[in-house]
Amino acid sequence: MVRCSYCGVELEENANFCSLCGEPVWSKETDNLEYIKSRKQEREQKLLTDYQKLTGFQKRMVFWQISGMILIAGSIITLIIDLLASQGITWSRYPVTVTLVLFLNATLIAFWYRRVLLMLALSFIATSVLLVLLDIYAGNTGWGMQLGIPLLLAGYVGIYVFIVMVRSSKQKGLNIIAYSLIISGVLCICIDGILSLYSGTSLHFGWSLIVMASVAIISPILLYVHYRLKRVTDLKRFFHI
Amino acid sequence: MDKNPHNHSKADKFWFPLDNAAKIFPAIITKQVTTVLRLTAVLKQPVKIKPLRRAVLLTEKRFPYFKVQLKEGFFWYYLEHLPQNIPIEVDDKPCCRKFARGRLMIRILVKDNRINIEFSHILTDGGGAFQFLKTLLIVYSKECGADIPAEYDLTGREEEIAEEEYEDAYKRYFQEDLPPMVKKSKAFHLPYPLKPPPRFERLTAILPLDRVKELAAENGVSITEYLVSVYLFTLQDIYENLGPLTRHKKNKVLRIQVPVNLRKIFPSRTMRNFSLFVMPEIDLRLGHYSFGEILKTVYHQVQLETDEKLINKNISRNVGSERKIYIRSIPLFIKSLILRIKHNALGPAQYSGVITNLGKITLPPGTTERVDYLILSPPPPNKVLKINCGVTGFGDKLVLSFGNITTSKEFEDKFLQFLKERNIEVKLEKNQ
Repeated sequence: MVRCSYCGVELEENANFCSLCGEPVWSKETDNLEYIKSRKQEREQKLLTDYQKLTGFQKRMVFWQISGMILIAGSIITLIIDLLASQGITWSRYPVTVTLVLFLNATLIAFWYRRVLLMLALSFIATSVLLVLLDIYAGNTGWGMQLGIPLLLAGYVGIYVFIVMVRSSKQKGLNIIAYSLIISGVLCICIDGILSLYSGTSLHFGWSLIVMASVAIISPILLYVHYRLKRVTDLKRFFHI
Repeated sequence: MDKNPHNHSKADKFWFPLDNAAKIFPAIITKQVTTVLRLTAVLKQPVKIKPLRRAVLLTEKRFPYFKVQLKEGFFWYYLEHLPQNIPIEVDDKPCCRKFARGRLMIRILVKDNRINIEFSHILTDGGGAFQFLKTLLIVYSKECGADIPAEYDLTGREEEIAEEEYEDAYKRYFQEDLPPMVKKSKAFHLPYPLKPPPRFERLTAILPLDRVKELAAENGVSITEYLVSVYLFTLQDIYENLGPLTRHKKNKVLRIQVPVNLRKIFPSRTMRNFSLFVMPEIDLRLGHYSFGEILKTVYHQVQLETDEKLINKNISRNVGSERKIYIRSIPLFIKSLILRIKHNALGPAQYSGVITNLGKITLPPGTTERVDYLILSPPPPNKVLKINCGVTGFGDKLVLSFGNITTSKEFEDKFLQFLKERNIEVKLEKNQ
């Protein structure tokens, strides 16, 4: 009689593996507890792929290295083509600058993942420089400073506030939708304001007020459902059809 | 659409709606409250894996209506045939895990000398699940070389599968225009704090069946009624030992839900859910009950509530509400929401405990000699109920299986202590 050392069932006389759990049949030391224990750990390990074994930081490093290689290789190729085709650096400065800023952002995400404020601030600076550079390349009309950076700032502040709100909410459900609606409403007001300042001289709001008004109706309802009718906050179940 | 399991070779898969009792389950299933029940056969010898595999393949052919997956329609859930084999796995993970969508809602788990079958309550109740286990054990012992009389062996006779086996038997015994039920008050609940998930834990106690039977007979009650009385007496003891403030806050009605296998009252061969409950209770506002008084009142309440007419009234309440056109036309997601809220208000809030007795089980001789005992583990209790209990009798053993999600074992200790004091030998087996 052959018994599997792991699941204890009786196997065929000539079996090499347990057909239930896949454990190799160990004819001599079936009572060796330590062996069984280490086999159990091995089995648990086996279930994970190599990628799953990495820590969060290691995973981000992999992401950073791969994106770095692709972006840098891409810029070099673009530069070479430009050099060969037009005997100088002309159009290629656009893709190369964009790639450089993308790479900077990837680096920030990889190394300052936990420090959101620092990451977003540095990313904002890098992207602002990108906008200004693009403005300069395209003839220096000044939109980078007057329009690009204010819009970018509004966007970054919005994202930061949203991240903080999501992280601080204990139960995630409809409240997340409400928060994102409110923040997009506020963003719309900022965009409208900045655009009006840029195109004319006076500050006035038009379409964004309509957006804000509708948001102001919908998000309180969502927040009410979330915080008052607690039973139905599980999004999956709530929208389960 | 083809509703006939015989023709499942056709491209059109057979399907059927959920039975009346199953309708609530999809709405309340969570990772913790899985509504998965487990039946265990503890054999005298280690399980032989090859004969078991053959037995499962033969057995599942006889029960095609269990090879289904849960699908959602716009108005109701329904069960659709899924042409897969019932999985046989090692029993090395937490018990009664939730079934994933798009999979079969039945699994077989094996370890050492135990064959476990886990069923989603959506498919069937303990009675139906046990029929499956019984057939599997008979075929398994036959595959291992035992001589089984032909009338016990259901396999290979697939043409005999009657429509009655997968009918919704509640509907058959439904009568229109019966008066509604009276709503019950909220019941006492155990005060223990919950364990962090995965919180479900079981404790199995093996008692001598003859001795318990004798004891019950001395008091003129059945084993179920005796155990219900012990349950109530234990709850009363726990209540009386609470601090005065907690005691004041707690509800004072102790009520036990006792599932009744309706197949024994209304003739039906259905293999799907067909059970209802009686709920014997004692009201502690009336003062302390002695054990004798509890036995007496439990006996009479069970006799009264298992009255055929009263059960009919219950069926009619349950089925009647499902037949109303305005309820049928609510989209499923709203219906699930309502069912959940209704379940919270009318379900476990109304009772303090569950004790479910599968009764004494008999198997043909060739199978009996291979089986040591059987265990019925009810689905994990929810946060309100906290503890429940399943009972089976086989051979000379009565097996109680307590499901518990709290940090305390006080209830089980007191329950079993009570039996020990009456000269009943209790053998414990933890979380096997």
